[in-house]
Amino acid sequence: MDQTAFIQLVNPFKDKIYRVAKRLLISEDEAQDATQEILLRLWTRRSKMKQYRSVEAFAMTMTKNYCYDSLKAKRNNNLRIVHSNYEDHSRNTGRQIEASNEVEWVYKLMKNLPEQQQLILQLRDVEQFDNSEIAAMLEMNETAVRVALSRARKTIREALIKKQNYGIQ
Amino acid sequence: MESNKVEQLLEAYFEGATTLAQEKQLRMYFTSDHVAPHLESYRDMFTAFAFASQETYDIPIHLPKQKKPVLRWISGVAAVVILTIGITTQIIEPDNSDAGIYVGNVPQEVGVLKTKQALGLMGKMFSESTAQLGAVNEFNTTTSNFFKQ
Repeated sequence: MDQTAFIQLVNPFKDKIYRVAKRLLISEDEAQDATQEILLRLWTRRSKMKQYRSVEAFAMTMTKNYCYDSLKAKRNNNLRIVHSNYEDHSRNTGRQIEASNEVEWVYKLMKNLPEQQQLILQLRDVEQFDNSEIAAMLEMNETAVRVALSRARKTIREALIKKQNYGIQ
Repeated sequence: MESNKVEQLLEAYFEGATTLAQEKQLRMYFTSDHVAPHLESYRDMFTAFAFASQETYDIPIHLPKQKKPVLRWISGVAAVVILTIGITTQIIEPDNSDAGIYVGNVPQEVGVLKTKQALGLMGKMFSESTAQLGAVNEFNTTTSNFFKQ
């Protein structure tokens, strides 16, 4: 397999790798590093690629493992860096800013979920994989995926309702 | 979509019982402009998911350069060529140098004279150096002590 063929193969899901990594690692830089690293690992394994039923699912499992590892490494460090992805919102119109603030709030709520629930919610509601695929990627059983998904969604809902009723009730 | 149907779907959604197609319907409903007021609080959630799925990774992928087998073959050939050139020149060179010494046009007598001269010079220097060694005999004849006892 040459480079162009490889890039064509990974193109459909490289965005997914990036988004999943960003969900867990938060920082854009770290997510970019993670994506690059995972693509490189896939490249070195390209000769074995035919053994995998789905390269995409395999890439997702790698992403999960990579992110868990780097989160663990970060937690072991006493030094913590708080990431805020500075962005220029000036060109947006008023309504979009409002919408994006609400959206940011949802992301923050997602961040407070346990890592596994974050991942499942991202894979299901953002990337739209079905439960059996997610179960295979995360090496869990399907029922556990469904339960975790339901819990994650309910937690977000409760937090959103709480926020909306803040100061009213 | 009617709001009571949306409510049903939402209920199933939070139990994790909806299909991907139904979730797509929900996303479509909540990202549209016609969300029922009492369902407004769910809108952020679905907008956030829709937003999140639009992000892309636009950085070009860096892959290590592939070594082509042709190049490896060429480098092998090049190594063999260099080696053979090296070995053949090494073998041929002594012949050339020998020829350089013996083929010279120096007449035999001059050669003999030069050799005599050189040997004589050498003998002279040799005797000079041994004469200087006579001083060492002093060690045997002296009675005074060189070192404190």
